[in-house]
Amino acid sequence: MRLVLVGFGNLGRGLSRALIQKASFLRRSHGLIPRVVAAVDEFGAAVDEKGLNLTRLLKVAGKAGTVAAYKGGKRGKLALRVIEGVEADVVYELTPTNIKTGEPGLTHIKRAMWARKHVITSNKGPLVVAFGELDSLARRCGVEFRYSASVGGAVPVVGLAKELLAGNEIREIRGVLNGTTNYILTRMSREDAPFEVVLREAQELGVAEKDPTLDIEGIDTACKITILANSLLGMNARLKDVKVAGIKRVRPEAIRLAREAGQTIKLIGIAKRGSLEVGPKLVPLGHPLAVGGTLNAVTFELDLAREISITGFGAGPKETSSSLLGDLIDIHRTLGG
Amino acid sequence: MELEDVPGQLLKALEPISRFGGNIQSIMHQRERKTPLGRIPVMLIFEVGDRARLNRILAALRARGVRVTQLGEREGAVRTTALLIGPHTDIRDTIDRLGALRGVGVSDLSLAMGGLGQESAARMTITTDNEKRASLAISNLQRIADRKKLLLIASLEAG
Repeated sequence: MRLVLVGFGNLGRGLSRALIQKASFLRRSHGLIPRVVAAVDEFGAAVDEKGLNLTRLLKVAGKAGTVAAYKGGKRGKLALRVIEGVEADVVYELTPTNIKTGEPGLTHIKRAMWARKHVITSNKGPLVVAFGELDSLARRCGVEFRYSASVGGAVPVVGLAKELLAGNEIREIRGVLNGTTNYILTRMSREDAPFEVVLREAQELGVAEKDPTLDIEGIDTACKITILANSLLGMNARLKDVKVAGIKRVRPEAIRLAREAGQTIKLIGIAKRGSLEVGPKLVPLGHPLAVGGTLNAVTFELDLAREISITGFGAGPKETSSSLLGDLIDIHRTLGG
Repeated sequence: MELEDVPGQLLKALEPISRFGGNIQSIMHQRERKTPLGRIPVMLIFEVGDRARLNRILAALRARGVRVTQLGEREGAVRTTALLIGPHTDIRDTIDRLGALRGVGVSDLSLAMGGLGQESAARMTITTDNEKRASLAISNLQRIADRKKLLLIASLEAG
């Protein structure tokens, strides 16, 4: 299978490392031979129809800060030209999320579909802005569209619901979907430390971004709830339909009061038909959603299976490559490979 | 119930309750309010799974000579915990508004003050007759919180 990587940041690199590491496993276990025929970032592109040497690509891009430094690479804004012009089966859209416009990911995905290429993305922006449009465009163009990595990182939230729980009606989805805020709440709970102190610590550790607004105000979780509502509950929801409260006002004293009552405080996203919500909630200690550190956890409420919960790592390039690779294998199987 | 004022009476009354699976929530031993016959009124609140167990407990109490003078029942009491974060200058008003709803009571208020100039946290237990009332109480509390600019942290399981 010929792949194009659009975006070569943490996730693009993580995926490349996984492709190197698992090359013989993919061939042996899945009969899949992935070949990255192009990689693009905001500064340029590297193209080789016979397949890029990923080890070399990682090395030169790591040093020069762009894939254009690869032998024969070109500089410039080349994403659209590569997506449309290079012969390939699957386009990986891995550029940073923009929740207002969905760009540049949104245009990348549309052009890839129009060019009859399957699309795998981790990018929440296009999914939040135009889920319905992309979903029907994929069907009209006869291509596969996968986005497991956009929610839950390594945790197979979408796949579990769509495939293994397909016989159920999903009544409600509740989850801890943001590792940064969960880390902050966990530290506040264990150390009785104030929010500002723990946030600074998280930033120093690289768990929180320099501008943590999207995480701590609950907007990142709201994006994921929007995606789950659209993809699993068949809703046509927008980000503005989610009622959002963040964790800025949660104080260590509040967590202590919660603990005295056998509970803890978690930032929970809740999706059910007619009501989408994100906010801090009291969760009983020992509950499947009372996970610590940067973990993510999701509980499905179902008509037949009643309750199913899963937990795992919600971020990190290596962990997320599990979902990105899973989507590729899934497409490979769907196409009869 | 009314108990004789001799040692061991309270224990005698409590034993059947725990033996038949009752969960005691509170005991009020009103020694200062002795009856004309010198008995001590005791108010007990306990939770029990079903009516058959309750009948067994009552029968056992009667067999032991414990006099049950008044029996009140509340079916399926639902308790939920909620936290409110913000300036709690009028927490009394919040509780009164919530308590004014039919079948809704507030017990167990705890306050944790923040540092100077910081918000404080209040935890309350809300008791209602059933699940529906509980979720009604929470949505009312949410409205009160919105109006007073408080952050409500409700239980995950509440409505």
